[in-house]
Amino acid sequence: MFVSETMATDLITVRPDTTLKEAKGLMQEKNIRHLPVVDEVGKLLGIVTDRDMRDAQPSSLLDEETYARTYERVMEHRVEEIMSKEPLTISGFYTLQDTLLVMGKKKVGALPVINEDGMLEGIMSTRDLLRAFVNIMGIGEPGTLLCILVQERPGQMKKIVDIITEENVSLGSVMVAKYWDKEKRAVFPYVMTQNVIRIKEKLQAEGFELFDPMSWYLDQLPQKK
Amino acid sequence: MGKTGFVFDKRYLEHVTFNGHPESHYRLIAILDGLKQNGLLEKLIPIGPEPANQRWIEATHNIHYIMRFEEACIAGFPDFEHQDNSICRETYDVALLAVGGVLKAIDSMMAGDVDNAFCAVRPPGHHAEQDRALGFCYFNNVAIGARYLQQNYGIKRVGIIDFDVHHGNGTQKIFEDDDSVFYYSIHEHPSFAFPGTGREFEKGTGAGETYTLNTPILPGRGDMDYRKKLTTDMIPAFKNFQPEVMLLSAGFDGHSADLMSEINLSTEGYKFISRTILNLVNKYCEGRVVSVLEGGYNLDVLPGLVADHIRALLENQAI
Repeated sequence: MFVSETMATDLITVRPDTTLKEAKGLMQEKNIRHLPVVDEVGKLLGIVTDRDMRDAQPSSLLDEETYARTYERVMEHRVEEIMSKEPLTISGFYTLQDTLLVMGKKKVGALPVINEDGMLEGIMSTRDLLRAFVNIMGIGEPGTLLCILVQERPGQMKKIVDIITEENVSLGSVMVAKYWDKEKRAVFPYVMTQNVIRIKEKLQAEGFELFDPMSWYLDQLPQKK
Repeated sequence: MGKTGFVFDKRYLEHVTFNGHPESHYRLIAILDGLKQNGLLEKLIPIGPEPANQRWIEATHNIHYIMRFEEACIAGFPDFEHQDNSICRETYDVALLAVGGVLKAIDSMMAGDVDNAFCAVRPPGHHAEQDRALGFCYFNNVAIGARYLQQNYGIKRVGIIDFDVHHGNGTQKIFEDDDSVFYYSIHEHPSFAFPGTGREFEKGTGAGETYTLNTPILPGRGDMDYRKKLTTDMIPAFKNFQPEVMLLSAGFDGHSADLMSEINLSTEGYKFISRTILNLVNKYCEGRVVSVLEGGYNLDVLPGLVADHIRALLENQAI
C-alpha cells in the first residue's frame, strides 16, 4: 500500500541545462509527460511537464516562417527557465490512499518521490496509480463479483467472509459502498472462482440479499427535482 | 428434418468432480434423459468419439501444459492449478475424448454424413488457454476444432460464436492475433462475472485486430438485450468476415433459473439465440455448424434448453 512499492524507479530525468529541444525529444521518445530535473548527485530541483513545454512554444497561429524561426530559438533555452521550481512531492512512505487524495486535490498528473535529503527516488504518475488499484481490486485475475446488501450493523462482514472461507475460495478484494437506504450497505466481494453457486445459496440462507447491481445503479441516478 | 449428429459417450461421465461441484456428470445424465424422454435422441445420428490424437491438442496447447495436466491426473491430485478445476484419475482421458468427440463431429459434417452436430461433451473448454486451465476447462475443445478445420480440411476462415454466459477467455486468447478465426462472444459483463475478461474494447491484437468481438450484457438483463445486441453486433461482424464453417461454444448458464449468473434469459430467449445463429450459418457457411456444450448448471432447465437447441439444429433447412 506504500508508494515506494508502486512508484516507477526506472527514472528518466534531465539536468537544469538540458535544452528544451532535448527535453521534448525525450518526452516524445519515452512517451512521458513529466520530466524531473535533478542536479549532479540526483537531488530534485524541479519538474518539467508537457504543459510547461507547450506554454514555452510559440503560438501555432503564427505564419509558418515566423513560427519556425521562433521555435528554433525557443528550443535552445534551458529547462531550468521553465520548470516548476518547488514541485509538490511525496515520500515513499506515503500510502496509495494519500496519493489518490493528493492527486485529486492538487490536480497533478505525477508526483516526484523524494527522501529526507531531497534526493529523487521515483515518480508516481496517474498511470502507476491506476495499475496499483487494478492490483488492489484483484481484477487482473479471473474471478466473480458478488453483490450483497447488508444491514448496517456489526458482524455482517464476518458472516460473509466465513461463508466464502468455508467454500475454500480466495478473496481478491472487498469493496463497500453506500446505499440509498441509509440502514444498508452494498458489499462487493471479488472472489477468485467461477464456482459461486454454493456461496450464493449459503448467503441467501443466512438472510443476505443478493441484489441486482443495475437496480442499484438506477436508484442512484440523480432524480429530477 | 435434416441430419444432425450427436456426440456422446458414457466415458464422459467418468470425469468426476468433487461433491457439490456444479460441473458434474449429472449434467450429461440429465441432458441424455431429457433427449430420451422427448423422443429427440432417436432422430439424431450418433457419433462415437475416439480420443483425440495428441497432435491436435498440441496444435493449440503447450506440450508442457499437456504433460502437467496428465501428471496431475495420474498422481491423483484433487484439482489442477486452481480449486475450481476439480479432477480425478480419469479426467485426462475424458478430456482427450471430449476433444476427440468434437473432431469426429467435424469429420462427419465435412464428409457430408451429417448436416450439423451437437457435442454433449465434458469437461468444457472455452476458459482453457494455451498453457492454463481455468473455470472447469482443461483442453479448449472448440479452439482445437477450429485449428483442425484449418489444418486438416484447408478451411480458411472459421467463425466461433460463444453464447455461454461467461466470456471464453481461452478461445479469445488463442486466436487474438489471428485473422483467420473470428471469435464472437456475448456474456455477462466482466465487471460482475467470471473470468473478468471480454470487455467491449478487447478486439484482438496485431494481425487479429478487429477479428475478436465482445458483447458484455449487464446483470439483470436478458432477452431484450440479447435480441438487440446479436442483431447489431454479431450479424454485421460475420457478414463482414464470411466464415466458411461455424463452431459454437454453447453454454446455457444465462437462463434466469441458473444461479451461476445474473443474466435473465428465458427459454424463448435461448430459442431466439439458436435461430439467429442458424440463419447466419445458413447464409454464410452453407449450414455447416458444430455446436459444443460448455456451461449450464441448473439441472432442471438444462435438458430443456439443450433439447430446444438440438431441435433447432434438426429443423434447420440450409439452402
